[in-house]
Amino acid sequence: MAILAVENLHLRFSTPFGAVYALRGIDFELTKGEILGLVGETGCGKSVTGRSVLRLLDDSARITDGRILFEDRDLLRLPEAAMREIRGRRIAMIFQDPATALNPLFTIGQQINDVLRAHIPGAADARRSRTIELLASVGLPDPAQMVEVYPHQLSGGQQQRAMIALSLAAEPDVIIADEPTTALDVTIQAQILDLLRTLQRKRAISVILITHDLGVVAETCQQVVVLYAGRVVEAGSATAVFANPQHPYTRGLLAALPRPGSRGSELKVIPGSVPSGLERVKGCAFAPRCEHVMERCRVNQPALASLTAAHQAACFLHEASVHG
Amino acid sequence: MAEPLLAVCDLSMTFLRRSSLFGRRERRIHALKEVSFAIEAGATLGVVGESGCGKSTLARCLLRLLQPSGGNVRFAGVDLLSLSDEAMRRMRQRMQIVLQNPFSSLNPRLNGFDLIAEPLRTHLTMSRKGMVEKVASLLAEVGLTSDFMGRHPHQLSGGQAQRIALARALALNPAFVILDEPTSALDVSVQAQIINLLIRLQRQRGLAYLFITHDLSVIQHISDRIAVMYLGEIVEEASSEQIFAEPQHPYTQALLSSTPSPDPASSRQRIILPGTAPSAANPPAGCAFHPRCAQVMECCRTVYPAPRPTSADRMVSCHLYESAQEMEKN
Repeated sequence: MAILAVENLHLRFSTPFGAVYALRGIDFELTKGEILGLVGETGCGKSVTGRSVLRLLDDSARITDGRILFEDRDLLRLPEAAMREIRGRRIAMIFQDPATALNPLFTIGQQINDVLRAHIPGAADARRSRTIELLASVGLPDPAQMVEVYPHQLSGGQQQRAMIALSLAAEPDVIIADEPTTALDVTIQAQILDLLRTLQRKRAISVILITHDLGVVAETCQQVVVLYAGRVVEAGSATAVFANPQHPYTRGLLAALPRPGSRGSELKVIPGSVPSGLERVKGCAFAPRCEHVMERCRVNQPALASLTAAHQAACFLHEASVHG
Repeated sequence: MAEPLLAVCDLSMTFLRRSSLFGRRERRIHALKEVSFAIEAGATLGVVGESGCGKSTLARCLLRLLQPSGGNVRFAGVDLLSLSDEAMRRMRQRMQIVLQNPFSSLNPRLNGFDLIAEPLRTHLTMSRKGMVEKVASLLAEVGLTSDFMGRHPHQLSGGQAQRIALARALALNPAFVILDEPTSALDVSVQAQIINLLIRLQRQRGLAYLFITHDLSVIQHISDRIAVMYLGEIVEEASSEQIFAEPQHPYTQALLSSTPSPDPASSRQRIILPGTAPSAANPPAGCAFHPRCAQVMECCRTVYPAPRPTSADRMVSCHLYESAQEMEKN
């Protein structure tokens, strides 16, 4: 069952150089209790998509079309007051850099207490024991002590754990995690990803994990959505997409990764670079870089079409095979 | 046997840090502890480790951008630590460094031509015409057209800027290049282009590389040998194949298993290390890794595991690989 559905989301930024078409029709569904990976390279629109869900966008951004359905309500048409009820309490966000997301002037305990007071009224000592419980649930050592600690006294991994505890305080149904492990060392990344999986299992939280790291997606997510230039190029179960990638862009990304046993060999490269978003794209945005490009790719935009029940791609190569 | 291009023996670096803003007491931070390794001409040593393990300090000490506090560095038969500053500056023509973020390492006010010509002007006397030809050929070597002579760093993509940084490093025909996380700031598809370029340049020019990264899949792709660092020490050093086929140090094993893989087939046992790396200002007694090690023994808490060879061409610092007599002594 889908807890959150993004439909045909279009967004553009106004910049001194003109309009940048950052999202050009994003569609995906987050299934309740699952981790969905939103993956792509710099500028593909993955972070903007995450922020659109909570309507945490700069003034220069404008959503021009589409819907974001959360429990059958369109978040894009909700009044600001109703949106405030959803932010944090129902849908929480975790950012890449916990050092800037946490308030340096307050202890971890005070920051969690503030959230608890806003969302769950109750006695002060009940809130305190709930805070300690939350800090323990994210695996922070000595949680009773951690209540009194300021963010700068924690390591990067501990700060990210505190950030996750903070986002869990209001018991949200959905967490949007934007590159939560990118600033961390691999052994700490492994701890945080393990924590996310545990939370998903124990609390049935649904997670949108935004990342550029295909390995992180493969090991953490049930579903994956691959973005290129503001559109979904491939989506499906992580098993299907990684075992059998169908879009030339997904294939190119996977082939560009160094693998065990590849030492010294030439890595496969995707020629060219991503479009700037300043021009309106005609046809498939990946066509100029695609080794399988056909005439129609430059004219028409391929729609996301089902290959199997658990796998979709937006590419004319597959349309041909489906219909022919 | 011929001497390797670079031979590092017991290199140490200690920083002094005041314990508080106005404090008189100084704390010693051992950023590098008796690090030893060698790199042959034309070969790549990968150095892998997490933040704060001393890998960038190592790079700076080799170039004497930091003055090491002890040990010995021999490059092309010359003892670098005994050179005068002037002689060291001349020596740096032969050894260069490329840093992680080209947008902070390249001067934003200079265009592509001046960025690449700067080392030529500093070290050589060349006619303007000769210099333009040299810069054009360097640009071609890193896969850029001569148009890039007129572009400033802000007009470049991350991959293009890193190519300019590379051309600049190659301008004086070095024999040895230190690459400090050269692809970490780049997207996957651009990273592949830069790695291919690095391998091609190494083959064409016979360059030796010291490749520093935290990314194990990148390092296995490019390195002949790999040194794994933890808290200022090399805890394991072996060939790339040995490290990946049969990692010996428990830290190396954990690092390998924490690296996420996009291959669905690779269902491996994941080792999740508890805690974080301790501070170099206050390292644990005995083995620095023992508080996080799943295979910790009594002796690890008190006795430092000296590096020992486990076969002819590999080295590990771990009590697990000691002989029975050595264990007895502990």
